[in-house]
Amino acid sequence: MKWNSWLKRRWERQMDAEFEFHIENQTREYVKHGLPQTEAQLRARRDFGGLDLAKDECREQRAFEPVNRLFRDLRQAIRSLRRAPGFASSAILTLALGIGANTAIFSVLDAVVLRPLPYPEPDRLAVVALYNPALKYSTYLSYPDFLDWQRGAKSFERITALSPTRGYDVTNPGSPEHVNGYEVSANFFQTLGVTLSIGHPFTAKEDQPGGAPAVVISNRLWRERFGGNVSVIGKSIVLEGAGYFITGVLPPDFRFESQPADVYIPIGRSNPLGFRQDRTNHDILCVARLKRGVSIGQAHAEMDMLQEQIDRLNPDTEKALSTHIVSLKQELTGDVGQTLTLLLGAVSFVLLIACTNVANLSLARSAARVREFSVRRALGASRVDITRQLVTESVLLSLLGGAVGLLLARVAFGVVLRAAPVPLAGVIDAGLNMPVLLFAFLVSLAAGIVFGLVPALRYSRTNLEADLREGARGSTARRQGVQNVLAIVQIALAFVLLSDAGLLFRTVNNLWAARRGFDTQSVITFQVGLSPFVKQSASATRTSYQQLTARLRDIPGVKAADITALLPLGQGDNSGPFWLGTHQPASMSLIPRANWYPTGPDYPRSMQIPLRRGRYLSDADNVHSPLVILIDTVMAHTYFPGKEPLGQILTIPHWGSVGPVTARIVGVIGHVEQYGLNSAGSAKPQIYYSVYQLPDEALPLFRSEVTFVVRTMTEPGRVLASVREAVHDVIGDQPVYNIRTTRELVSGSIARQRFPMVLLAAFSVLALVLSCVGIYGVVAYSTAQRVPEIGIRMAVGATRWDVIRMLLRQGLRLTIIAVGIGAAAGLVFAKVLSSFSNLLYGVRTTDPLTFAAASLILAAAALLACFIPANRAARLNPMNALRHD
Amino acid sequence: MTRQVEQRPSVDVDLLQGTLDMLILRVTALRPIHGYAIGQRIQQLSKDALRIRQGSLYPALYRLEERGWLKSSWETTEGGRRAKFYSLTKAGRRQLETERAGWDRLCEAISLVFETAAEE
Repeated sequence: MKWNSWLKRRWERQMDAEFEFHIENQTREYVKHGLPQTEAQLRARRDFGGLDLAKDECREQRAFEPVNRLFRDLRQAIRSLRRAPGFASSAILTLALGIGANTAIFSVLDAVVLRPLPYPEPDRLAVVALYNPALKYSTYLSYPDFLDWQRGAKSFERITALSPTRGYDVTNPGSPEHVNGYEVSANFFQTLGVTLSIGHPFTAKEDQPGGAPAVVISNRLWRERFGGNVSVIGKSIVLEGAGYFITGVLPPDFRFESQPADVYIPIGRSNPLGFRQDRTNHDILCVARLKRGVSIGQAHAEMDMLQEQIDRLNPDTEKALSTHIVSLKQELTGDVGQTLTLLLGAVSFVLLIACTNVANLSLARSAARVREFSVRRALGASRVDITRQLVTESVLLSLLGGAVGLLLARVAFGVVLRAAPVPLAGVIDAGLNMPVLLFAFLVSLAAGIVFGLVPALRYSRTNLEADLREGARGSTARRQGVQNVLAIVQIALAFVLLSDAGLLFRTVNNLWAARRGFDTQSVITFQVGLSPFVKQSASATRTSYQQLTARLRDIPGVKAADITALLPLGQGDNSGPFWLGTHQPASMSLIPRANWYPTGPDYPRSMQIPLRRGRYLSDADNVHSPLVILIDTVMAHTYFPGKEPLGQILTIPHWGSVGPVTARIVGVIGHVEQYGLNSAGSAKPQIYYSVYQLPDEALPLFRSEVTFVVRTMTEPGRVLASVREAVHDVIGDQPVYNIRTTRELVSGSIARQRFPMVLLAAFSVLALVLSCVGIYGVVAYSTAQRVPEIGIRMAVGATRWDVIRMLLRQGLRLTIIAVGIGAAAGLVFAKVLSSFSNLLYGVRTTDPLTFAAASLILAAAALLACFIPANRAARLNPMNALRHD
Repeated sequence: MTRQVEQRPSVDVDLLQGTLDMLILRVTALRPIHGYAIGQRIQQLSKDALRIRQGSLYPALYRLEERGWLKSSWETTEGGRRAKFYSLTKAGRRQLETERAGWDRLCEAISLVFETAAEE
């Protein structure tokens, strides 16, 4: 630095010397022509023209001059802002709110959507599913299908299977614990590109029927149960009563899907109920890594052809099924990305409002600096120079605002992420990384330039005479006009946010109130573990369930209780085929599918699913009695239109390890919402049967899904202590887990709408506050202009209220225009909102209630903002007002 | 007796930046020369027709030096004073040729237009 300024001083000295030399020569010339010395000197200097201007221009030619100039401008800007701390701090705060909100949303978008999955070359990973083009839904595949794909597919470098997560009770070593686990192919980890910390995955040999019981465990399990001992390979661990040996340990940060799983066992080894050879049992999820250079489109085409071949070879079980491929990233993040993009658009409105506020403030401040600008222009500064100075100041302000905003965003990020219905939430770390910082910087820069140009364009003109004459208050009419326009823009933007938030609010309300086919109040659900001893015996399992159910019913405050292996409201599904009558249809691919609910007999009554015809299931239905089922109204309507369904026979292709069995329909009950409202699966038929009619070998399959439902008379949480006691009495020291009320289930199912609603509401509040501040400023300014007029009016007899009314008229006009424009814009944006991933439910985009409410709120807030300065102005002493100038 | 300074018949020509640059390069091509002398020389060579404003001359000199077409050094004049002398660099020499060629082409083109126009 010192070296730099010494160089600069030397350069300046030389330039001075050069000019002096020139003037000396010119002086000598004049003296030679007969002029006296002093006059010659004067003339020589005059001849040179603007000495300082020439020097400035020479300075401009220096290569590093732009940088110097920037530093000069910055120093000037800092000095200027320090002289106006009020302006600077309100500008910085306003900008911090706007930029901070934007950065927060962007960082969530970045973390969820933009950041790649934590696997090597993640964009080559895809999920491959079967697709039924007739019914337009994609499903998991069967294990034989997977094996065919593995043999025949050429587009993939690796293809792997996994069976959706199940619960496992881990016993040895250590105390019993219930964990999640997956059944996966031997090449699962290889496909993802994950290297194990210790050991290796199980081999293909182990991934076969009769293979050795190998298992890969999570890092957490390894640390807690084996003390982090590196010689854990080959050690034994007991899952669900069976012994496995450990072949590998996963790295600590490994994640796949949102539920952390602790054990991975070979999928080919188990063959529950012959499912691994059953082409009609679709329970396999397939993940594949595309070969380099192969696109999803190409792979899709190949897989469709391959599936066609498979269909031809198996006319019995598959027909006209094609395939569906999406990238793994898309599968995991779903349409959250869309919602987040929508929210990013909405939050940019907040930033716009913040910028217009600051622009207004800037205009006001620049009006007071007119003298300063005129002097600078007179001294030779160009329009560009003044503009540059003003823009530098505003960029400095907005960068400072952006820095504060970053801090705010850091806090907000965590909050927003927790509220978001995001599957990968566990994977995301709340870091402020490069893209986010870059985003904040660019937004600040853009904002600063934009609102810096507003006063610059106005006040960098040459002819500032009119402004100079008006003094500090500046030229009234034009400035007022710009301010009014900005205020109208602010209110319109705030209106859009408010109306959208209102529409979503009504949507969420509608979703809460929507009927779901059962009584969602006052029911608590939970799962219990069973001891390994009990689990080994089917009859012991049944007895435990029955005893616990009976004991639960005895608890005071409990109206009804029973078990189910499938809960509604997005808690999964259990899709299985069937056909009517006893005649097996020609092709298995034609037979319909329904959701099957294995429940206790009292389950429908506990859930208050209404009985339409016939009877509920009863205790009399057990393994020894004929199989009976309940169907729902959708099934009755679809398959028995106008006919009596009671007494009809249905055939189920697989019942345990047995072939087709028949079941008789004994009752028709209401339809429940298994998936989200309005979703594709809503019309799927539902069939209920008693868990106690399942054959022994089928029971273990559903055991980990069995959930108890308890309907209480009052608040479900209150019975929890009694429930734990009951469990302890009947089953012993077993964990009670997954405790949720049905209200929580409902709430979870509308998270997709509630998330944007909450955020939009927050944005609306911000927008409202900022707009009101803006309006307040506008009205305060204009009333300050009219103080002499007020003085005169009051002196000739106007009352306080007359004055207020007069002052409010302007504000009122502004508000009406703004609300009108806002309503029009609101209608347009409501349409945009509704076209975005079907967020709205039960409200029209032109919902009058919402728009009326938004208008009222905005008008009230705006008028209040106008009222305060008007009131203050009206309370002035007329004499003071008249003297004020 | 004081003599009045004659009114010079020349004109303060507001030369285009490029043209001024070209003249400066031409003048410095012969030998190292300081700023004042450059102005005098241009005036002299143009028979007083071109009088360069100092406010334009020095910024031009600084610009040309920044571009690498001129180099400067502080030398002692014949009169014993210190002055900053400018001379042409190799790149400057090439630039001078380019500009001269361009200027000739321009003049030729303009003359053609006038001749043709005069014929019609």
